[in-house]
Amino acid sequence: MGVLLLVGTRKGLFLIRGDDERRSFEVEGPLLPGWEVKHAIADPRDGSLYACANSWVYGGTVQRSTDLGKTWTRSEGLGLPEDSELKLASTWHLEPGHESQPGTLWLGGEPGVLFRTDDSGASWQVNEALLGHATRDRWSPGAGGLITHSITLDRDDPQLLWIGISAAGVFRSEDGGGSWHPRNQGTEACFFPEDRFPELGQCVHKVLAHPGRPGRLWQQNHCGVYRSDDGGDSWAALHQNGLPSEFGFGLALDPADPDTAFVVPEEGAENRVTCDGRLGIYRTTDAGASWELIVAEEPAWAAVLREGMSFDEEAVYVGAQSGHLYALRHGEVVRATEHLPPILSVEAAALQ
Amino acid sequence: MAVVLLPGLLATESGGQKRLEVEAATVGEALRALPVGDLVLDEHGEIRSLVHVYVDGERTRDLAASVSATAQIRIVAAIAGG
Repeated sequence: MGVLLLVGTRKGLFLIRGDDERRSFEVEGPLLPGWEVKHAIADPRDGSLYACANSWVYGGTVQRSTDLGKTWTRSEGLGLPEDSELKLASTWHLEPGHESQPGTLWLGGEPGVLFRTDDSGASWQVNEALLGHATRDRWSPGAGGLITHSITLDRDDPQLLWIGISAAGVFRSEDGGGSWHPRNQGTEACFFPEDRFPELGQCVHKVLAHPGRPGRLWQQNHCGVYRSDDGGDSWAALHQNGLPSEFGFGLALDPADPDTAFVVPEEGAENRVTCDGRLGIYRTTDAGASWELIVAEEPAWAAVLREGMSFDEEAVYVGAQSGHLYALRHGEVVRATEHLPPILSVEAAALQ
Repeated sequence: MAVVLLPGLLATESGGQKRLEVEAATVGEALRALPVGDLVLDEHGEIRSLVHVYVDGERTRDLAASVSATAQIRIVAAIAGG
């Protein structure tokens, strides 16, 4: 089966269709011209497309298309209640709800907020438990703002999910979002002068639950790469096992192998480019005990953002701020396209 | 009826209409009546900071300001971004 890649850029959304072998790709777009698309998905349950379409003038929106991008409908009434004294600055991440909940999706945004829809995006309800979280005054915005950028669900239990907020850390809910609990034990806040392992305040860059092994989470953090085997109760550091840097944003998994993960390390917080002047994708196949380098491009300046990696059963996809998009399959890298606007996000879906 | 003139992205979001007629006694009523009212105004009902509103050539941010039945309201996106 081929792949449909939804590639969000600073200048609209591109749909890129790849063949069965991930060797040939066709580019359609830009769709949603004039909008900065921080993330877009195809809902596997009904084929609808959803996009976090943002404008520096008109704010953050969600757009939905039921005809593969030909026409779009903007969700209305998306915002924060006046008594919160907060305003929605931008929309960042969309996640389809559990397969048992058709019409339900989750939306993360700035400033550290979460929404849920149960009517396929016609209306959104803010998650009050996160909005009024008792620790909110201890959260700090990162370079991208105070953003809820990761939402990852347990495959089996619709009440169990995790979110990542920069820079507040990972939070887990066991009651479908009714309450949220920090889950950061073992992850470092290396930018804090004293307590480097606090309850919260860590700068998680991306967190993903493995779809095939309950309780296994992977995390690319400002201060390292981590794995949890107990649903986030504890985290083990993996970045001293052959990675050139603890810093990076993107993260991809292999749905068939919970011990395999991919990251793209960057020089560091003060120089956010890939290490050693090349786009180096690092892969582990032993749960992070060791990493091997797979070079996509050398020499090249590159940087990959937190939503810039995706995966399916066949391949891993990496989109760079330079406008290059790569597919990595069976250890071989194919340049899918180039000359796109700066890539903000990549999401793989089954080709329709 | 007051006339509202929309810039490109708002016109696209209004189904391609660059010019809309609205029944409104105030600037706020006119903006809230637009199909893109949620893009011009934030969730607390205030004009977004990078949206400029001109009534008959005069810039205003006063939502309570009255508008005549023949007023022309022009919405302009601020010079920003990159």
